[in-house]
Amino acid sequence: MTASRPAPRIRPDTRARRQHLLMLAPYLVGLVGLMLLPALVTLALAFTEYDLLRPPTWVGLDNLTALVDDPIFRVALLNSLVFAVVAVPLRVLVALGLALLLHRRAPGVGTARTATLLPTAVPEIAYGLLWLWLFNPLYGPINQLLRLGGEHGLTVLGRTPPPWLTDPTSARAGIILMSLFTMGETFVVLLAARRALPRDVYEMAALEDATGWDVFRRITLPLMAPVLALLAVRDAIASLHFTFVPAFVVTDGGPPPYATTYLSLFVYQTGFEYLRYGYAAAATLVMMLLTVAALLVQWRLIRRYRRFYQV
Amino acid sequence: MSGLTLAGVSAAYRDATVLHEVDLAARPGELLVVLGPSGAGKSTVLRVVAGLEPATTGRVHIAGRDVTDLRPGLRNVSMVFQSYALFPHLSVAENIAFGLEVRDVPRRTARERARAAAETVGCAGLLGRRPGQLSGGERQRVALARALVREPDVFLLDEPLSNLDLTLRVEMRAELRALHDRLGATMVHVTHDQTEALVLADRIAVLRDGRVEQVGTPEQIWRTPASTFVARFVGSPAMNLLPADAAVCRTGDAPPLPEQPLEVGFRPEAVTLDAAEGTPATVDRVEVIGEDAYAYLTLAAGHRVVARVPAARRPARDESVRVGVRWADAHLFHADSGRRYVP
Repeated sequence: MTASRPAPRIRPDTRARRQHLLMLAPYLVGLVGLMLLPALVTLALAFTEYDLLRPPTWVGLDNLTALVDDPIFRVALLNSLVFAVVAVPLRVLVALGLALLLHRRAPGVGTARTATLLPTAVPEIAYGLLWLWLFNPLYGPINQLLRLGGEHGLTVLGRTPPPWLTDPTSARAGIILMSLFTMGETFVVLLAARRALPRDVYEMAALEDATGWDVFRRITLPLMAPVLALLAVRDAIASLHFTFVPAFVVTDGGPPPYATTYLSLFVYQTGFEYLRYGYAAAATLVMMLLTVAALLVQWRLIRRYRRFYQV
Repeated sequence: MSGLTLAGVSAAYRDATVLHEVDLAARPGELLVVLGPSGAGKSTVLRVVAGLEPATTGRVHIAGRDVTDLRPGLRNVSMVFQSYALFPHLSVAENIAFGLEVRDVPRRTARERARAAAETVGCAGLLGRRPGQLSGGERQRVALARALVREPDVFLLDEPLSNLDLTLRVEMRAELRALHDRLGATMVHVTHDQTEALVLADRIAVLRDGRVEQVGTPEQIWRTPASTFVARFVGSPAMNLLPADAAVCRTGDAPPLPEQPLEVGFRPEAVTLDAAEGTPATVDRVEVIGEDAYAYLTLAAGHRVVARVPAARRPARDESVRVGVRWADAHLFHADSGRRYVP
C-alpha cells in the first residue's frame, strides 16, 4: 500500500536557506576536509607506489593484482570475513537477549542496563589492556576460573585450559569474546525497539496461552527482524574497524601465521610500518568496496521492510 | 452455554483503586454492555475478566469455574481490543489461526477453521492480505473472526467500534448484534456510546468511577434511571434536571410532591412549549436536526431546560414561550444522594 505523499514543502526563502547553509557549514567543512578529500586521495594513491619520501609514481592496477596474490592480504581478508560472520551474529544475539531480559521495569534493571553499556564506554586501549590480563594463561582470571575444581593446573575435565593468545584458534576466539561485551549501542537500539512494540499484541498472545517460546518465535522475532537485520549489517561494517584495537593491542596480529591480522591491521602495518602507502591504499579500497556492498544490502533491507510494514 | 460472574471485584493500578467491589453477572448467551464515561473503569472490568489485570479482592467465575487465580490463557475467553491488536507481520489467515496454532491444533485444521470464522464475519476474501493492507472496518472483521475461531466461553469486546466512522459503526453494530444472535454466545461489550449500548444490549451495566451505578435492560435504563448520573449519561441531549420545587408547570396527572429535597428530571421529549398555563421562558438558541429541533430555554426563575419540538413548529431565538412538563414522563431523585426516589 502506498502512503499518501507529504504535502509539497513550501520553499524556504533565500534568507532561511542561507542560515541553514551557515549552520551546516562547520559540518560540511569537516566532512569534505577530513573525510571526502582524504578518501579521494586514498582512492588515487591506490593506483600509485608511494613511500612518503619520493613522490608517488603511477603503477595502474599493479597494487590490486599484487593484493590478489598476497597471502598475508588473503589471510587478513579471510580473518575479517570470518570475524564478521561469527562475531556479528553473536553480538546481535547477546544484545537481543539482554534487551529482552532488561526491557521491563523491575528492581535492579537500571543497574543491569548500565552494566551492559559500561564496557562500550571504556576507552578501547584500556579495554584491550584489561583483556590482556584476563587472557593471561597462567594467572589470568579466565583460566583461573576454568581451573577451578581441577588438579595440576588442568580443568575439571582434565584438559589443559586454552593458551589464548599464543594459539591461533583460541586467539581468534579470544578477540570474538572480547567483542561480545562491547555491543552496548546495539543493545540500546534493541531495547528501544522492544519497548516500542505494542503491548496489546502481547496481551493478545497471553489470552491465547502462547508459550514464551511461541511469543518469541512468532511475535517478537518477526516484529524486530527489520531492526535486527539493519543492526547486523551496521555491525558488520563496523567490525572492519573495531577489530583493529584488539588485534593491535592484545595480539599484535599474531600468533603466527597472522591469526588475528584483520584488514584494518593489515592496512595499518602496510602503510605505517612498511611505508607502502600505495599498497595500503589499495587494501583500503577493498575495505571500502566491502562497506559499499554492505550498505547496498542495508539499503535494500530498508526498502523491503518499509514496503512490508507500511500501514 | 456459559455465563460470567464478578463478585465483589476490586482492581487497582499502583495506588489508585479503579474498581470498587463490582458485582456483575452476564447470563449464558447474553450480550451485556458495560457503559460509562472514560475513566469509569470499563476496560478494567474486561481486563480483570481476561486476567490481564489482577483483582485485588473478589472472585471471577466463567462458565461456573473460578478463574480468579488462573492465567489469561487458561480462562477460555476471547478479546477484541480497541486497537484490534492484529499481528502486523502475519496474514489475515495466520492472524485468525494464531490462537489455534499456538494451542497445537494441526495447521491444516487451524486454517480450515480460520476460513470458516472469516466466512462467518464476511472477511473470507481477505485471508491472504496483511493488516497493513486493510481498512478499519476490515481489520475489525478480522479481529472478530480471530475472537470467534476458538469458541470461547466469553467474548470480551473493548470498544471495538470506536475506531470506525459513523456509517460503518452503525453497520457493524447491526452485524455484531446479528452475529451474537447467531452464535448465542456470552458477550461483554464495553462502550462509552450510549446509543451503541441501547441498540446492542440485552442488558446494560452503567459504570461510574469504578462502581456499578445501575444494571438493567435498555428499556429499564431509559425509563427508570436509578440515579441522576444514569439519567444524564443516557440520552442526548441530556435529561433536564431541576430542583423539584422549581416553578415549572406540570401537565397531565401530577400528584403532590413529597415533603423532602428532591430533584426532578425529564427528557427534552417531555417538554411542551404550547401549554396554556405554562411557565414563561425565553428561547436562547435552537438546533435543528432534520425533522427535530432542540430549543434551549431559560425559565423565568433562571433554570435552563432543553425541549424537543418538531422542526416545522420550532420557536425563533429570543421568542417568549410557555413551558409545560408532562409529569407522567418525569423522574424524581433524592437531591443529596442522586438516587431515584421511590414513593
